[in-house]
Amino acid sequence: MTAEHPALTLRGLVKRFDTKMAVAGVDLTVPAGSFYGLLGPNGAGKTTTLSMAVGLLRPDAGGAWVLGHDVWADPVRAKQLLGVMPDGLRLFDRLRGAELLAYHGLLRGMNPAVVNQRAAELLDVLALADAGRTLVVDYSAGMKKKIGLACALLHGPRLLVLDEPFEAVDPVSAALIRDILRRYVAGGGTVVFSSHVMEVVERLCSHVAILADGAIKRVGTLDEVRGERPLEEVFVTVVGGRTATGEELAWLSR
Amino acid sequence: MAVAVTDVGAGRRVSARHFVRLKLRVMGNSFRGQGWRIGSFVLGAVGGFWLATVGFSLFAIPGLAGDDEYAMLLAALGGGLVVLGWLLLPLIFFGVDETLDPARFALLPLPRRTLVTGLFAAALVSVPAVAVLLASTGLILTAGIFGGWTAALTQAVGVLAGLLLCVAAARAVTSAFATMLRSRRVRDLAAVLLAGAAALIAPVQLAAAAALQDADWDRLAAVATVVGWTPFGAPWTIGIEVAQGRLWAAPVKLLITALTVVALLAWWSRSLESAMVGVTGTGGAAARPKVTGTAVTQLFPRLLGWLPRGRFGALVAREARYWWRDARRRAHLITLAVVGLFVPALFNLGGGSPETPSPVLVSLTMLFVGVLAAATLANQFGFDGSAYAAHVVVGVPGAVELRARMAAFSLYLLPLVLVISGVLALLLGRPWWIGLTAGSLLATFGAGLAANTLLSVLGAYSLPETSNPFAMNSGAGVARGFLGILSMLATAAAVTPMVVAAALLGDVWLWLALPVGAAYGLGAALLGAYLAGDVLDRRQPELLAAIAPRR
Repeated sequence: MTAEHPALTLRGLVKRFDTKMAVAGVDLTVPAGSFYGLLGPNGAGKTTTLSMAVGLLRPDAGGAWVLGHDVWADPVRAKQLLGVMPDGLRLFDRLRGAELLAYHGLLRGMNPAVVNQRAAELLDVLALADAGRTLVVDYSAGMKKKIGLACALLHGPRLLVLDEPFEAVDPVSAALIRDILRRYVAGGGTVVFSSHVMEVVERLCSHVAILADGAIKRVGTLDEVRGERPLEEVFVTVVGGRTATGEELAWLSR
Repeated sequence: MAVAVTDVGAGRRVSARHFVRLKLRVMGNSFRGQGWRIGSFVLGAVGGFWLATVGFSLFAIPGLAGDDEYAMLLAALGGGLVVLGWLLLPLIFFGVDETLDPARFALLPLPRRTLVTGLFAAALVSVPAVAVLLASTGLILTAGIFGGWTAALTQAVGVLAGLLLCVAAARAVTSAFATMLRSRRVRDLAAVLLAGAAALIAPVQLAAAAALQDADWDRLAAVATVVGWTPFGAPWTIGIEVAQGRLWAAPVKLLITALTVVALLAWWSRSLESAMVGVTGTGGAAARPKVTGTAVTQLFPRLLGWLPRGRFGALVAREARYWWRDARRRAHLITLAVVGLFVPALFNLGGGSPETPSPVLVSLTMLFVGVLAAATLANQFGFDGSAYAAHVVVGVPGAVELRARMAAFSLYLLPLVLVISGVLALLLGRPWWIGLTAGSLLATFGAGLAANTLLSVLGAYSLPETSNPFAMNSGAGVARGFLGILSMLATAAAVTPMVVAAALLGDVWLWLALPVGAAYGLGAALLGAYLAGDVLDRRQPELLAAIAPRR
């Protein structure tokens, strides 16, 4: 297939909302088989960047390639290789878990027998089989993340793009999701995910990019980016946060 | 603390008075520094006073006019409506005034009886209760004019009993339904019932106007007499009975009312416990039947098992489920069914003489229903909201998507079309006209699907993500309404040939209308899906941006 191509390539992505520059020229190369963390503070443009990378949001300039296939020029092929879990978007939540998976599978043009088998397995592994007749809209936040992940995994994509997969997820579910993602990468898949939780990124990722104000500030393997310091320190320095001097808010400790 | 406990033990009984004072205090405190609260309270009070004035005049009219005949009628039916309002309105609008939430008393050592009487007394202190009291003094006036002081005094007792009945009914019913109202499914259902009720308002008004024209007052009076003997009308008619010389009726009717109030309070007392502990999450989670079948068989409704197990089939199955499971869509369907049945019937039977129904008029009303039905899809993507992202991620071909959406909607609409055209043909006394009615309706529906599908791709807008099917985002409404009217006009223009044919061809058309109309509608819909699908393929992300609510 396309072993020589990177799993995901972004070139000069730009997006402007009204007067605000949300993403100002992002270039990124995600090697196949990597576990890639996209770090950034709130409002840095992570969701906007990932949306443009997977075909949910049309960029003002630039392009995105999945394993060499142009997302915007050859969407059919690119989207076949791609599994996406957006954040803050609804699922078709008036379906039950199993129905939702069947729906996604058939929309992807999969064989019904394969859909059935994989859906049962995914529901089982993600501990969602007990939900039975509960509609997805009535799921808890963690369950919604898990069923979203199952939808993204169902067709066996080569690249997984996850927006905030660990947001609002309890530790048990988070551990389960981490475990599944690790196995997926070990099996040759590539994961790109956004987060602002250093600890998760440090524990999982082989590569890291730090995004702030719509531009990539640091990029490379985890070790290259953090060097000798903890990732959190690097992040705060890069993003331009302030560290407490002990002088301000003195009245707090009265 | 120990002092307080012995105090209570020493016999300082908690009485209803405490609850009333507590309620007044809580109300007063909630106004402090909250300008908008005072404003809304004043608005409510003014509105209540206005309604009370209207009610008072209605109840007082027979007395002032000296018309003894309608006194019973107005008292029984008017009073019955008031009770019905107290029974239903809190349910529909999800609640009664809960300044004193029963859950707050859960930890206090109060006997149930004290609690019920206390909360009941507190519930009487409210704007609606005062408004009802004011309005029903009109009844006392009427009774006094006809029967002197005795009748007026009896009626005064009756009015008080009626008020107790109203408040008790509202409390008992809402408390009993409180557990259910907490679950989303029942709230959805209630919203849909409201949609049905709202849709019924126009037909009922028309029907009432028609009924008033050839009013059968005698029959209505008979109905009123019967209602007067039910709890709905009993308290309000006591004074009139006395005035009309049936002294024995007064104690009987008072007894009916008193027994009802006691029964309602007993019911309330029983359901109060679950309201106090604030039952959560028992919306039928227990004893659910086990899921059977594979994921794919679960997705397809049993009636649609014949659908192909592929992209198109999955889309149709999901849409079909959504038209039922999504409260907003279901409300649209129910409104459509009600309006679609009543408007043609009223137009064709009410206006012209039913002796000579005109094919053109029939075609025109069918055109109206068809346009209305198809217009439901004008913002079909807006129903999905950001969930539509799943289709963008997968890259569903536009034409397939639109054909599936049309097909799923038609699954509900085609039976309705059949019923509407059949009922109308039967009402006209010409069953063989079903070809004409169904043909016109199908042609319009198909053309409307085409026009509205294109509109739904180009002019989509976001709907708020609430469970209230009537919630709308304000802003830019005018432009959207204009677009909608444009598509309706386009639909109407597209099917004028059907109306012209009905006018020109005469009897032949009665037989040709169905096949021609069906073919015309199908062709138009498919062409629309093809053309709009092409547009959709090119602007999927833009459509998603339009329908995903801003956060």
